Amino acid sequence: MVQSILDAISLGGLYSLAALGLGLVFGVMRLVNFAHAELITIAAYTLVLTTQFPLVVSLLFTIIITVFVALVMEFSVYRRLRGVNPAIMLIASFGLSTVLQRVYELMFGALPKSAVVAPFLRGDFKIAGLSITISSVITIFLTITILLAMGYLVERTSLGLQLRAASADFKTARLLGVRSNRLISAAFGLSGVLAACVALILVIQNPQISPYYGLNITILSLVGIVIGGIASLRGAALGGFIVGVVLSSLNTLLGNGRVYAYSWLFILVLVILLVRPGGLLSKGTELERV
Amino acid sequence: MKHGGVTKFSIQNLLGPIVVLILLTQFVGGASTSLQLITQFALCLFVMVLALQVFVGNSGVLSFGHGAFALIGSYTSAILTAPVNIKENALAMNQLWEPLVSPQVNVYASLAISAAVSGLIAAITGSLLMRLNGLAAGIATFALLGVAYNVFFNNKKIGPGSQALPGVPWITNTWILLLLAVFTLIIVYLLNISWIGRTLRATREDAMAAPALGISIFKVRLIAFTISGAIAGLAGGMYSHVAGTFQVQDYYLEFTFVTLSMLIVGGSASIWGALVGTFIITAVGQVLLMMEQDIPVFGLQVNIPLGSRAVIIALTFVVMLLWRSGGVTNGKEFSLPKLKRK
Repeated sequence: MVQSILDAISLGGLYSLAALGLGLVFGVMRLVNFAHAELITIAAYTLVLTTQFPLVVSLLFTIIITVFVALVMEFSVYRRLRGVNPAIMLIASFGLSTVLQRVYELMFGALPKSAVVAPFLRGDFKIAGLSITISSVITIFLTITILLAMGYLVERTSLGLQLRAASADFKTARLLGVRSNRLISAAFGLSGVLAACVALILVIQNPQISPYYGLNITILSLVGIVIGGIASLRGAALGGFIVGVVLSSLNTLLGNGRVYAYSWLFILVLVILLVRPGGLLSKGTELERV
Repeated sequence: MKHGGVTKFSIQNLLGPIVVLILLTQFVGGASTSLQLITQFALCLFVMVLALQVFVGNSGVLSFGHGAFALIGSYTSAILTAPVNIKENALAMNQLWEPLVSPQVNVYASLAISAAVSGLIAAITGSLLMRLNGLAAGIATFALLGVAYNVFFNNKKIGPGSQALPGVPWITNTWILLLLAVFTLIIVYLLNISWIGRTLRATREDAMAAPALGISIFKVRLIAFTISGAIAGLAGGMYSHVAGTFQVQDYYLEFTFVTLSMLIVGGSASIWGALVGTFIITAVGQVLLMMEQDIPVFGLQVNIPLGSRAVIIALTFVVMLLWRSGGVTNGKEFSLPKLKRK
């Protein structure tokens, strides 16, 4: 029971990190970056393929590579699509996502790559007679730390102020002196860092990396940012958290019916959207064409 | 932003794509047995892209849910036509619900039923989904696909679950598929120039002004969603009869992305764009496949490394979007080049 609750919270936290990465980029350029999945995948590959180094070095290396890939995406594709209909940008990001998946398949092969990352985080320990897995506790701890750091960055720093301003109204923010190219690059870079963090937590739980590794979590956190409210980063994080908690709880509660967990989750999403089309944290309705 | 879309009947807008479609089917499909099969699949996909064009192209609302209608259409058609002994004895079908075992209908009747069932489900789900806008609508339609896939993938009482339902009767005659495609094309064209197409495009261009002119966005979107759901059902039904099998995985993410990219690459605002996009994506894939297998293309032998095909297809798609975000046709309908007068 305690373990289930911890699992639900840790999965929720993980999804909220992924949702935050998507939300950052969406905020500044109205782009649903579906290829975020491939950032998570490359980070996971890097982690698994650099296990011979100490964890800190490997993690640093992972962050550098992931941020690099995120910036390459921005410079090679998205920068040329500024101001284009968001639907086209979304479709372009699907294309980019497919390109990267195929490249990974060529580079690393279609079969899963696997290695034990951070072996000391495996196993479980006992508190008051209850057995609890170490990874769930570590996940919660990591998530809270990263969310706090992100919260500080977004709420207290100049970059965060610019990000929030650009999310609210990009044109006005530019008029007030926010440098759009630099800000968008920063948003992509940050989303790369978040993708690396998500990958670290994912790899501890499941070290079987295939070219589609990041796909599932990205789709679900995409659903999360929409039900949370895409207009704000808080909404994105909250939505991701809800999706994670609901999915984890469904898996526990449904028993043998857990194969239908996704159906119930999606039905819940539909209900939330019908009641609050702008997301849970939205104020009033806004028409947006995507 | 100005997008394409015709309002007046023009014989060349309608006949152009039909003639091109017939010529392609005749010359490409008639070239070899393997090309014939590819043409048959392409015709099914073209009908699917037309379904997307009706709704996505005209309304500007992305739908990821049409894969669900194709899935339901394909399933309906397959379960109604697969021989009783296969439904009774195939390993994949050993848990099939009793009333589903005996029904048998003619292949063509099954296509009509597929379209009707998918259209009905599109009408029911649309009456909820069409209240949404923008990204929320996109995600909600995706949720629809997710539910349909999840249920069909796991429920072995209604179908083959994650396995394939074999023995679905084949439609081997390419001309029948062509006839269905042309029939759909004419319907979609007439729909696009009717008040439904025009008001739908009005809501796409300006979601504030359209209601002010007395247009009910909900109503017109629901009509288009229903019709396009029915066409997607027909496409799914055709697909199962060309493949000779029904498998849930065929109608999930990849199917959704491929058909949507065909629409977008060609230019989502026109029927001509739907045809061009379907052709380009199919042709690029095919030519690269031949290169990968070291088969000469048009007498030219170009070898590319194994596995690079998929990368190049996806790259082509991205480059095309960067080059022309409105699609190759830029949303214009077919028209003959105007002769210059001296």
